[in-house]
Amino acid sequence: MGQWETDAGNRVMEVELKRYRYVAALLFLGMGVLLFFILNVCIGSVDIGVADIVKALTGQIQEETMARILWDIRLPRAAAALILGGALALAGYLLQTFFNNPIAGPFVLGISSGAKMAVALVMVFLMGRAVRVTSAAMIAAAFLGAMLSMGFVLLLSRRIQGMSMLVVAGVMIGYICSAMTELVVTFADDADIVNLHNWSRGSFSGMTWENVRTMAVVVFLACTAVFLLSKPLGAYQLGDAYARNVGVNLRLLRICLVVFSSVLSACIVAFAGPVSFVGIAVPHLVRKLLCTTEPIWMIPACFLGGSVFCLFCDLLAKTMFAPTELSISTVTAVFGAPVVLWIMAKRKRGA
Amino acid sequence: MEQYYFSTSNLCVGYDGRPLIREMEIALPRGEILSLIGPNGAGKSTVLKSIAGQLQLLGGAVYLGKDSLTEMNGKALARKMSVVFTEKVRAELKSCRDVVATGRYPYTGWFGLLSGEDQRIVDEAMELTRVTDIRERDFDRISDGQKQRVMLARAICQEPEIVILDEPTSYLDIKYKLEFLAVLQELRERRGLTVIMSLHELELARIISDRILCLKGAYVERYGTPEEVFETGFIKGLFDIDEDSLSGNERLLAYVRRIGA
Repeated sequence: MGQWETDAGNRVMEVELKRYRYVAALLFLGMGVLLFFILNVCIGSVDIGVADIVKALTGQIQEETMARILWDIRLPRAAAALILGGALALAGYLLQTFFNNPIAGPFVLGISSGAKMAVALVMVFLMGRAVRVTSAAMIAAAFLGAMLSMGFVLLLSRRIQGMSMLVVAGVMIGYICSAMTELVVTFADDADIVNLHNWSRGSFSGMTWENVRTMAVVVFLACTAVFLLSKPLGAYQLGDAYARNVGVNLRLLRICLVVFSSVLSACIVAFAGPVSFVGIAVPHLVRKLLCTTEPIWMIPACFLGGSVFCLFCDLLAKTMFAPTELSISTVTAVFGAPVVLWIMAKRKRGA
Repeated sequence: MEQYYFSTSNLCVGYDGRPLIREMEIALPRGEILSLIGPNGAGKSTVLKSIAGQLQLLGGAVYLGKDSLTEMNGKALARKMSVVFTEKVRAELKSCRDVVATGRYPYTGWFGLLSGEDQRIVDEAMELTRVTDIRERDFDRISDGQKQRVMLARAICQEPEIVILDEPTSYLDIKYKLEFLAVLQELRERRGLTVIMSLHELELARIISDRILCLKGAYVERYGTPEEVFETGFIKGLFDIDEDSLSGNERLLAYVRRIGA
C-alpha cells in the first residue's frame, strides 16, 4: 500500500515537472519575443533609446522625425514580423502533422509559391488598371493560390510514398508556380516590376498599419481555431486508425488542417512575400525545447518561436549590411536550412 | 438475436470494393472471447478492421446490441469499442504514458486535459499490462513486445465494452503471452469485456476462446466452440499441413527437418 502511494506520488510529480518545463519554455519564448521586438524598434538606420521610445509613444517628445520613424516604420514592421513569423511557424507545424512528415512546410511544398503566383497575377492585373489593392484582396488571392498548390500536393500525396518524394513533388510545384510568376512579371509594366520585385524577394519592410490590422485579425482567428483543435490533433498524431477509434472525425479534421494551414501561409505571402525555412525549422527547434509533441503546448510555443525567429532574422536583415537591406529569406535560409539538413541526416534510415 | 452483445448479419468484407469474405454470420454474447484463426492472407485483419468500423463494409451489417455500427456516432462508439492493430504507430517524442493516455479521448473535455480520475485509470491500465516501469520512456525507443503491451493498455484505459485485437501476442514472449491471457480473463470477469481477436497460436486460441472462427477462402470455414473446431482433421485442412505433426515432439521435429531439407 505504502509502495503504491509513493509510486502514485512519483507519477503526479513527473506530470507536474513536465508541466513546469512547458510553462518555462513558453515564458522563455515570450521573453524572447519581447526582447527582440524592442531591439527591432530601437535598432535601425537611426538608433533610438528605449527611454525615447516611451516618451515618443506617450506623446512627450517634440521631435517629429523620430516619432514618425517609430510610428510609421519601426513599429508596424516589428509587429508584422511578430505576427507573420508566428503564423508561418504554425502553418509549418500543421503541415508536418498533416503529412506526418518532419520536413513539410509551406515553402518546400510549393504552397507559398502558389500563393505568390496568385498575388502577382492580381497585383499586375489590378495595378495595370490603376485599382488600389487592399490587404483583404491580397489575402484572398494568396489563399486561392495556396489552396491551388495544396490541391496538387494532396493529389500527388495519394500516389507518392515516403517523405522525401513528397517534398520533391512540392518543390516541383513550387518551380512551376515561380515560372508562371516570372512570366507575369516579364510582361508587366515597369512601375509594377519594381513593386513586385521587392515583394517577391520577401521582406517585412513597407508595412502600413492597415496591413498590420488586417493580418492581426486573420492570423488571430486562424490561430484560435487551430488551438481549439489541439485535442483531435493530438489523437491524429497516433495515426488514422487510432484517431478514428477514439472518435475523431477524420475528414473534418483534415479539411480544417488544409484550410487553416493555407490561410496562415497565404497571410505571410500576401504581406511579406515568400519566407523560406521558418515553417520547417521553428517547429523542430521548439519540439526539441519542449520535448513534447502535444499540440496544446506546441501550438502556442510554435507561434512564439516563429515570432522570435523572424524578429531576429529581420533584425539581421536590416542591420548586417546597412544601409543595404537583405531579403528576409536570405537570412532565414542561412539559419533554417542547416536545421533541415540536420533533421534529414538524423532520419536517413527512416526516409 | 437480441441476447447477443455483438453480431453480424450477412456481412461481406474486402478492400477496394473487391469482396474477400462473404456471408459472415457471427453472434457473440457479452463477456465472451472470440478468436479468428486461419492461414496468412485469409483475411483476419480485414475482418477485424471492418467490424471495428475502419473499413467500409461491402455488404451486411455489424451490430452492438441492437445498434448498427455504421449508424452510431464516433464518440458513442469510442466509449464502447477500442482496438489494437498491427500497424506501426508513429509517436515521435511521445512517452509511453502519453500514448496510453490517448485512450481517454472519448471521456475528456474540449481540450483533452486529464482529470485526476483519468490519470488514475491510465496508471491502472499500465499496471495491468506491466508497463508502469517504462511509462516515461520514448514510445519510439521501446521493443515491439513492449509496444504491444503499451497499446493494449491504451485500449484498456478507453474502458470499452468490446475490444478488437489484431494479433495482440505476436511480439510477446511466453511469460507475457500467459500474462496477456490472464489480463483478458480478469477484464472479462470484472467488467464483462467482450473480446474479438486474431491469433496465430492455435494452442492459446484453444485455451482462452469461447468461440473460434476459422477463415479460409471466400467464406467462413467454420464457427464454433474450441472443441468443435479442434476436432481431428479440421486444423490440418485449414492450414494444409499434416496434423500428426502437431502432436508429439519427434514427429514435429521430423516434420521441421523435412521442410527444412
